[in-house]
Amino acid sequence: MSAASLPSPPRLPRALLRRVVPDESRDDVDGDLHELYVTRRAASGPAAAALWYWLETLSFIMRFTFDRLARALRRLAGGDAAPSVLDLKLGARILAKSPGLSIVGGLGIAVAVALGVAGYAVVNSYFHPVVPLHEGDRLVSISKFDAQARLEEERLLHDFPIWRRELHTVTDLGAFRTVRRNLVSESGQGEPITVAEMTASGFRAARVPPLLGRTLLEDDEQPGAPSVVVIGFDVWQSRFARDPSIVGRQIRIGRAVHTIVGVMPEGFAFPISHQYWIPLPVDPRVSIAPGTGPSVNVFGRLAAGATKESAQAELTVVARRVAAEGPAEFAALHARILPYTEVFLHGERGGSNETTSMLRYLISLFLVVVAMNVAVLVYARTVMRTGEIAVRTALGATRARIVTQLFAEAFVLSGLASLVGLGIVVVGLRMFDRALVEMLDGEVPFWMHSGISLGTVVYTLALAMLAAVIVGVFPALRATGAKLRGAMGSLGSGAKARLGATWTALIVVQVAITVAVLPPALLKGWEMVQTATRAPDFAPGEYVATRFVVEYDADASTSASQNHGAAADSARAIMNRLVARLATEPGVVGATITTGAPWEGNTETLEGDRAKTEAKRTSVITVDTSYFKLFGVRMLQGRTFTAADVPLRYSDRPVIVNRSFVTEILGGGEPIGRRIRYQSFSKDVQPWLTIAGVVEDFPSPIRNPGGTTTRSAQMYQLAMPGELTEALLTIRLRGSTPEGFMPTLRRIATSVDPSLQLSKMSALDAMYRDYAKSGAQLALVVALITGVVILLSAAGIHALMSLAVNQRRREIGIRTALGAPAQRILRSVLARATRQLGLGVSLGLAVAVIIELTSGGAMMNGTGLLLVPATAAFMLIVGIIAAAGPARRGLSVQPTEALRSE
Amino acid sequence: MTHQGLGEFEQMVLLAIAHLRDDAYGIPIVEEIERRTGRRVARAAVYITLRRLEEKGFVSSWMSDPTPERGGKARRHVTLEAEGAKALREARKAAERMWHGLDPASLRTR
Repeated sequence: MSAASLPSPPRLPRALLRRVVPDESRDDVDGDLHELYVTRRAASGPAAAALWYWLETLSFIMRFTFDRLARALRRLAGGDAAPSVLDLKLGARILAKSPGLSIVGGLGIAVAVALGVAGYAVVNSYFHPVVPLHEGDRLVSISKFDAQARLEEERLLHDFPIWRRELHTVTDLGAFRTVRRNLVSESGQGEPITVAEMTASGFRAARVPPLLGRTLLEDDEQPGAPSVVVIGFDVWQSRFARDPSIVGRQIRIGRAVHTIVGVMPEGFAFPISHQYWIPLPVDPRVSIAPGTGPSVNVFGRLAAGATKESAQAELTVVARRVAAEGPAEFAALHARILPYTEVFLHGERGGSNETTSMLRYLISLFLVVVAMNVAVLVYARTVMRTGEIAVRTALGATRARIVTQLFAEAFVLSGLASLVGLGIVVVGLRMFDRALVEMLDGEVPFWMHSGISLGTVVYTLALAMLAAVIVGVFPALRATGAKLRGAMGSLGSGAKARLGATWTALIVVQVAITVAVLPPALLKGWEMVQTATRAPDFAPGEYVATRFVVEYDADASTSASQNHGAAADSARAIMNRLVARLATEPGVVGATITTGAPWEGNTETLEGDRAKTEAKRTSVITVDTSYFKLFGVRMLQGRTFTAADVPLRYSDRPVIVNRSFVTEILGGGEPIGRRIRYQSFSKDVQPWLTIAGVVEDFPSPIRNPGGTTTRSAQMYQLAMPGELTEALLTIRLRGSTPEGFMPTLRRIATSVDPSLQLSKMSALDAMYRDYAKSGAQLALVVALITGVVILLSAAGIHALMSLAVNQRRREIGIRTALGAPAQRILRSVLARATRQLGLGVSLGLAVAVIIELTSGGAMMNGTGLLLVPATAAFMLIVGIIAAAGPARRGLSVQPTEALRSE
Repeated sequence: MTHQGLGEFEQMVLLAIAHLRDDAYGIPIVEEIERRTGRRVARAAVYITLRRLEEKGFVSSWMSDPTPERGGKARRHVTLEAEGAKALREARKAAERMWHGLDPASLRTR
């Protein structure tokens, strides 16, 4: 039997195992476990054997990691300091002795580790991915970067043939661009698909042979060659039912009929996430001027023996010569050799909308609170053990020995917490992947998969170690350092290390942060829940909406600018034809074209015409003349958009605003005739826009707990069908359902023009439900984070209070012995806590007021007067409850016992 | 006492090697200890102990030829060295001296 035909253990644990086990034992351990795996698999099946292998691996990881650590420490400390299993057991016992502290501290570390590991995993799998192709790390992209404008120059068809001819360090040079085309079915319905227009060399660069038929050939690129297409495994399976005789079949893509010449194997989606490949016609006879032509990506493979550096050197020489021959404005462009995936990441700059910035804000504050609380807990615990440490030192324990033991104890906590953190990350990444698939419409690049990699596990382990060092070693070093002598000297007198000023400062800052941060978080959560639970403001079941794109069907070899005007005219004509055709369709009440659904405005900053009005943010949506009528939105003042506005230039057209806009942006008064403009962030001055009418708020604003409403200022600008070539078409129906009308709509669109692409077609209320659902999910995240912040704050207060009571045991004991009434002692203990809480609340209130003022009221939206005091009162109550337990424990101290124990 | 201390688990591993003679490597050592003591043994602990025993000079090892059912990996066979045998004998003697005068059946407990 050959080794290849025998089953192998699961790859990930095996790789982990090989990483952890030291060189001298690696092969025999690997071999022994392999042998046992094969036996077990034969006896009890693959699943049981895999589970067994995983468990064994985890055991090996734990023990070998610990063994390595012990050896390292032994080397450092020269003998007796190495942690033992006994230390670990002791650590576990100490954790179990104070479950509250352990759980909260562990939770803090788990969350912090989860955030750290998630960051690492995401950065690695999305920003430094491994390309899953043969020698994927030798695939490179070639780009030109404009360092001054900080932009990639993507019009590379001038350079491409030169690079292809002259570069020797990069082979199989290819180029592609992504286009959207309609796949037209036999029944005449068009469905948009994403197509890679790629040079035949792309398949050679990827080094993946076809499953059926052939890949693209250079001949397919020649002018006049028959139109051919290669399809991916997924569409072969889903659309063509794995038809084995698919090669030779004809399908209509956009305006042309293509012959299927090959099927690529499962998982192949090169160059990004493609399932259809057609030739990129690059006619060598047509010369394309620098900086013209369509945007393409250029890629290739490093030739044998070449490195990125040598390729870069060769490219620089070629690019300099080409630049010297070409126009001066392109001379500054810097041609670069990049790792294959890097060029695709530049366009994906994170969304800058309010929700993501809110989340970022929450997460960073959350990290601060977590870090502070864990520090508080550890500090409190170590200080409480100063006496014990002093005694052990007196009995002959070396400093290294004590530090080691505290490290081992901390490692038990941080190790367990890190495992929990890793679990959170596994679940979180799965959610992230799903969100990514949704965000990218299922077109996730083939190299992106965020599973837990070996590196992630090792990184988690490193974080656990780091946490153990911070949590265990630093406090231990402090506790065994210069202050130790003091503690030893005071052993008999009963006084211990004091926490006075530090303790007060920690509690005060903690409470202040919570009071300042919670109100905006609560408000955001409230708004999201309200959005998710309320009914939409339009009749459900009457509207169907679809995104549309009118394709600029320009040939790759021709300059886009030459064709642009003609294409835009033709796009306008197509949309006008579609709207006219829909008007004649029975059951259609009307149609409107907008940049987004009623709840999907773009946030813009506007400034008014009066000197006093400051720039404010508002939502802007572009609509056509039929929008308000179609949704039944009432005019309150002035007039609606009319056909007379259409011939005006876009910037000369009047705008319409809603009721909230008048109060929020204009500050009341007569709105008609007032002028506003976009705030300019450059030297260009934006034109003034004149308000012609006021409509009621649509959708109606959400009521806040304080009786105010959320910000809902909205401005409407006018655009006509055909002016927006990529927008949302909403149709109001009577007598038919949105679902029933969808196939008709597709047929109508294809009959108007086969290049008209409709996507994300859905009933408008279903679209609203999706939007509301994502809001609700976000609200859940906000609620979770808020909940954990409160829990951690309460735990921090509780821990510090316990410590303080503990330190005052002697005092309480003496006072009890002297006959002080319990109530007075309780009051004196609580008074201190209340003072600290009060100080924290006041500071928090001050910060909240500053936040509210500097954000122009946007953070709390007028609910500050209600929410901030409510949060403050809540924190006071939480603080007092947290303090009450330890205080009561203090009261139950028996005087004799308290005195003796000292 | 030996000149280098021998832990209880180290003793078990050395004794298992002594029992197994020429066929001593990771898998049978674990099985031998489990069979004779009737308790579960963490496999990783055996490998860590073997490494430590070899460093102390109590055992030596040699690699067999690789086999396909082990994923092309060789076995590490271990042999008891003179130092190891001596340590085992001393550990036994120490235990015997400690037992001297005691009847295992009638150990008094509180």
